Amino acid sequence: MKDKTFVIILTAIMVIGIGTTAALVIHGYNLWKEISIVEMIANWGC
Amino acid sequence: MDRKKLVKQLAVIALFIVLFAGLDLAIYQLFIKRVISHHTPGMQKMSVEVANYVPFTGSENVFPAKDAEKLEGDIPTIDGAAALLPVYAGFVESIYPEDSVIYKGEDYDTASAMHYTNTRGAYKDIVDGNADIIICAQPSDEQLAYAAEKGVELEMVPVGSDAFVFIVNSNNPVSDISIEQIRGIYSGQITNWSELGGNNMPIAAMRRNKNSGSETALEKLMGDLPIKPDYTALFGSPIGFSFRYYVTGMLAEGGVKILTINGISPTSETIADGSYPVAGNIYAVYRKGETNENVYKAIDFMLSPEGQKIIEDSGYIPLGQ
Repeated sequence: MKDKTFVIILTAIMVIGIGTTAALVIHGYNLWKEISIVEMIANWGC
Repeated sequence: MDRKKLVKQLAVIALFIVLFAGLDLAIYQLFIKRVISHHTPGMQKMSVEVANYVPFTGSENVFPAKDAEKLEGDIPTIDGAAALLPVYAGFVESIYPEDSVIYKGEDYDTASAMHYTNTRGAYKDIVDGNADIIICAQPSDEQLAYAAEKGVELEMVPVGSDAFVFIVNSNNPVSDISIEQIRGIYSGQITNWSELGGNNMPIAAMRRNKNSGSETALEKLMGDLPIKPDYTALFGSPIGFSFRYYVTGMLAEGGVKILTINGISPTSETIADGSYPVAGNIYAVYRKGETNENVYKAIDFMLSPEGQKIIEDSGYIPLGQ
């Protein structure tokens, strides 16, 4: 693999990875603002 | 040589893919999965959706007194806690003129005699003069300090009561807790459910916003013992707190259970006779020296048999029961 191709692939993975992580965190934060403590406990625990 | 380089490059690419996939999976498992709302229609009915508690709309969640005398003249602005919205919506529909309530789709108009800004907003509004009566649990020290700073003295009239309850996931084998154990958990001295007879699992001690009614109730329960932040909360099984009415409507489908305290369950009887140890009053709060006589008329109505029936019909405990 040429260095240029490798850098392009790696950059694409980084962009997609960071984008997905950021989107997940933002989505989770928006859900967290809406949910009540009661529902959160209902979702979670043993 | 080229083959070695290619293997290295592919390994780096694979490593980054695995790292991001692992990170995203961890975020989903530890955070997002816990905050997805699984509201069923039954749970939604009991959640405080403002639109479900608008007076004069025929809402089945509002329980007005029939044929109560309406206020005339200077109508006091009323506000309050989220969990008590059904209570003051019932009061308003009973004694306020219909045209004094202006609801605009998502919230009340500033000109409306009924507002909904929740406990934190309501205590600020009563001090600032933007509300004349608020229906809330007890104020926090910070809210009292704000009133003192502004030179406002608050009169607090108990109009009913409710239990402060502690909840866990319904799969948690622990069903009973003591006040000392609650203090131990929130002060960081008890950190694992096995110390309470449960599974070997960290305790995630969940809390609410500063100055919310239930967070203030926790602070009062803790007394001088400092509340320690729980930085490992994401990894444990949770305990949380709320008021009984908020929880009971969700219990059937919500997957949570209310812990008994010292073996006593928070029922109407145990709250009323004081045997449930952490019951608290619901207050009608107004500014001392209030000159609008309708404020006193409204509070008299809340204390009357009709007003107390609204408290009971809304799911709370009336006075003197």
